[in-house]
Amino acid sequence: MKKLSLLGLGAGLIAAVAFSAAPAQAESTLDIVKKRGHLRCQIGTPAPGFYNLKKDGSWVGSDVAVCRAVAAAIFDDPNKVEFQSVTSTVRFTALANGESDFLSRTTTWTLYRDTQLGLTFTTVNFYDGQGFMVPKDSGINSALDLKGATVCVLTGTTTELNLTDFSRTNKLDIQPVVFEDSNVRNETYLKGGCDAITNDKSGLASNKAGFPDPGAHTILPETISKEPLGPMVRKGDGQWFDIVRWTVFALVAAEEMGINQGNVASLAANPTSPEMARMLGKEGDLDKGLGLPKDWVVRVIGAVGNYGEIYGKYMGSKSPDGIGIARAGSQNDLWTKGGLMYAPPFR
Amino acid sequence: MTDIQAPSDRELLIFKPKPSQPPPPATTGLIGWLRMNLFSSVSNTLLTVIGFYLIYLVASAVNHWGIELAVWNADTRRECLDQSPYGACWAGVFVWFNRFIYGRYPDLEQWRVSLTWVIFAAWMAPVWFPRVTSKVAIGLSAILIYPFLAGYFYLGGERNWFMEIMVSVAILSFVLCWAHVLLCLITGRGLGTTIISLSGYAGKHDKTHKYPIIAFGAVGFVIVYALISGWTLKEIGTNNWGGLFLTLVISGIGIAFALPAGIVLALGRRSKMPVIRVVCVAFIELLRSVPLITVLFMATTMFPLFLPEGLVFNKLASAIVAVCLFSAAYMAETVRGGLQAINKGQYEAAAAIGLGYWPMMALIIMPQALKLMIPNIVGSFIGLFKDTTLVSIIGLYDMLGMIKAVSQNPQWIGLHHEPLVTAAMIFFIGCFAMSKYSRHLEKKLGQGDRR
Repeated sequence: MKKLSLLGLGAGLIAAVAFSAAPAQAESTLDIVKKRGHLRCQIGTPAPGFYNLKKDGSWVGSDVAVCRAVAAAIFDDPNKVEFQSVTSTVRFTALANGESDFLSRTTTWTLYRDTQLGLTFTTVNFYDGQGFMVPKDSGINSALDLKGATVCVLTGTTTELNLTDFSRTNKLDIQPVVFEDSNVRNETYLKGGCDAITNDKSGLASNKAGFPDPGAHTILPETISKEPLGPMVRKGDGQWFDIVRWTVFALVAAEEMGINQGNVASLAANPTSPEMARMLGKEGDLDKGLGLPKDWVVRVIGAVGNYGEIYGKYMGSKSPDGIGIARAGSQNDLWTKGGLMYAPPFR
Repeated sequence: MTDIQAPSDRELLIFKPKPSQPPPPATTGLIGWLRMNLFSSVSNTLLTVIGFYLIYLVASAVNHWGIELAVWNADTRRECLDQSPYGACWAGVFVWFNRFIYGRYPDLEQWRVSLTWVIFAAWMAPVWFPRVTSKVAIGLSAILIYPFLAGYFYLGGERNWFMEIMVSVAILSFVLCWAHVLLCLITGRGLGTTIISLSGYAGKHDKTHKYPIIAFGAVGFVIVYALISGWTLKEIGTNNWGGLFLTLVISGIGIAFALPAGIVLALGRRSKMPVIRVVCVAFIELLRSVPLITVLFMATTMFPLFLPEGLVFNKLASAIVAVCLFSAAYMAETVRGGLQAINKGQYEAAAAIGLGYWPMMALIIMPQALKLMIPNIVGSFIGLFKDTTLVSIIGLYDMLGMIKAVSQNPQWIGLHHEPLVTAAMIFFIGCFAMSKYSRHLEKKLGQGDRR
């Protein structure tokens, strides 16, 4: 009898959970976020440029700006974000289990991640690529000179796999030296423990800036991998997917049309072209499908600036928070200037 | 016999030793000590010389890096490196020190955290004062009621009716504690006695003595409740908590929970009732055979997968629950070790004078067992205090998490030695204080054994 009653209790509990879960699933992510009053945005553990802590304890960075942009679109307040800083090992679980509303952290868009995790990539907001850094006096001028070299690499990311692929393809017999912590890796490299460091080039540039003598090191020209980084959402909520994706597009399109943080208010009142009028909510009803207010782009740009401004602040050298990577001629420049940053039309 | 009774008759033959020679100069004073302890043989002399040389090497390197070449004033790490590329950059530690202590807690609200630390110290201090009575009540109120006050100060925001009551009770208890302490120190009578005599109940039957005390407490409660209604603090979400503050919150709750839960589990494991015993054994063995980091990951990442969509538990709360359960399992085994050291005769003697199970445990067994276990208990507390740094892996910004964050800030990129040294010193002070206090406690409680 005792066992039976326990079974009954268990069944009752499961039923209660199932019933309470049913209405929750019907709600869209946007409704949940609105009801909660703030956005839960997943970022990574501090990485220069993308997301890191300022002296006053606030989060800054280019991926942080995407979180703030979405918050501004929904709430007209870029500070209504709860940042969830999560290590890369559990990032997908923390999005899949509903802890975060979306993930805006340096995550490389791959077929596997896009199709087999129940998650989906929205778009690309930064093109990175893996490269090598060597001491200038080593005489190495190309990654193909690294025959038999020891290379310091961080474990647990695609970086390590790319290095092995590159070594096998070019029969270089590279010896990887694996690290968990980037500070320890840099220290080892500086003390001569390995011939080169490999990492995403943005990371190499920011690490180099922190060396005692940055001029003594050089980043080799080869890029051995494609690292398109972008925000991710859970599969199954098309509207939420569109909100995140088109917020990033709005940042790029605004730069293309010359809309920035300073002039967005006046341009919203007097747009200079029909597309600008549609985008800033003066004409048409482009906001309908997104479920956002008419002036959502104005809010976004007013809060965080356009893509170029964000890049300048955090990736470039236009503010003390920047890591000083040149943009001109890189893949992260606008398509009109030879880069890959391209937003579909606002029509 | 008569000889002794008449000493004056004869000249006494008493042995008078010559005044002793002073010890050879080479065996006394500093030189003697050195010869005895450091240079007593050729091999010892060699070891001493090598030892001193090693100490010199380490000390001079530390001095060179940490003091001679150090930079004390700079705005970025670049400035530090330009001034002295191979010295310590203490400027970075000064700039970030508040973040190491308070995490992402807003600067303007940090006084709240500091104030609760002061209140806790003031609440616990009377336990060590002489001439103060009811120390157990003071200590218990600090452990059971204080957390509500501290919790509200940390979190802020609107209070629901429960928190409203608990915060009032906590403030009232603190005020009453200190009123009691001052009365004890000045007049030698406690608060209760003073109230009874002032209200004129002193001459009446003992059973009526509780009425004036209850009335006094009720009036105090109403006054405090009225005073704090409408007073609110700015809400600070737990994702802003961090630094040493977070370390102390997690380890403090863990320590406060571990001991009572560990005692209950240990008693359960030795219980003769099969269901209780099996449940306790299963709990203890399950949690002890899994690493803490796995428990933390389970609690913060895997557990939400089993919950209905949209229902998310606070990450800090999950981590604290995980730490509490984990430390309780370890504490249970420590306590069980102490229980086993108690002679069977003690149990039989307690039973013989007619004590039931709980009085036997509370009055005879536990006081002896806990005294024996002090070194082990404090050992696990110290372990727990240090283990809390693991929460930086699940994305909580305790002191270690803040230190890692500093090394990734573009202006301070790569700065990690100096913050780590600072954290090591802070942890050393905390752990060393705990172990010193445990030694003191051992001596104090062990006085009976040395007689």
